[in-house]
Amino acid sequence: MISCTEFIPAYSELFKFLEKKQDKAAVVDFWNYLSDTFLTNLKDELIENGIRGCWVYWSKTLKEEAADFTMELDEEAGEFSINMQHCPSKGLLLENKHIEPYPDYCEHCDVLYRRVLEPLGYIYELDRSQTDHARCKLRVKTKKR
Amino acid sequence: MKQIIKQKASDNTYYHQDFHIALNYGINYLHKSFGGEAVREYLAQFANAYFAPLKKELRDKGLPVLKEHYEKIYKIENAVFHMNISPHDLFIHLSESPAVMYIKTNGHPVSSLYQETVITVNKEICRNTPYDCELAEYKHENGAYKLRFFKRKM
Repeated sequence: MISCTEFIPAYSELFKFLEKKQDKAAVVDFWNYLSDTFLTNLKDELIENGIRGCWVYWSKTLKEEAADFTMELDEEAGEFSINMQHCPSKGLLLENKHIEPYPDYCEHCDVLYRRVLEPLGYIYELDRSQTDHARCKLRVKTKKR
Repeated sequence: MKQIIKQKASDNTYYHQDFHIALNYGINYLHKSFGGEAVREYLAQFANAYFAPLKKELRDKGLPVLKEHYEKIYKIENAVFHMNISPHDLFIHLSESPAVMYIKTNGHPVSSLYQETVITVNKEICRNTPYDCELAEYKHENGAYKLRFFKRKM
């Protein structure tokens, strides 16, 4: 059995496998598939709770992933953000020196979440400029009508 | 009103069971897009890369290394298991897979190739070592298995 604590290297290796087997488009196709099948819980939270659904979803996942972060929600302004000071997933890949992370590993967070958020009327921004240090900034805003 | 949460990594324990669901969908995707052999190729690639230090330890120190590894993993996953080790073999009986049960409990269909996470991965861990393994029993309904590691005949 592969433990859920061993998943991140398995995930990164899957991206590498798909790119080698076919191409980058196959990796993106997988991310789209995973977003549609796996992130139904985020979609359900957003439909039920609006932008607060982001807060509910990421409060649970980031706690379980033992992330180092600051998360903010302003429902009146329609804004939600995560300032990730140490991403446990990218951090784990960087710490395990015997494995080579997939070069575009952090792009999965852009594709997976954007695919859920934008069709529901949210603006999604992900600053990946510091992912080499396991840091990123995620911002969700309600579109002004 | 603005709400803020600040958390440090040390505030929580790393244990996100939803990753079992994501891995299951990874296997499903490979299976439907490229066939069963691709699932085995991928899992072998993963095991060869990620478990390289474990393979080296297995070569150097033998079966107790695997016993220790799986005791740690099953404890993390709160699994019910039984192990028997002798100088020649290591027998593992996992009563129920916490991964399979979590996937099912959350309403996701378990891949028909999910057992490859046991057999392909462990075969790859054993490859190029004096050891091999066989999956004596696997139950698709709950992921229970009986796995035996043994010394290869030279």
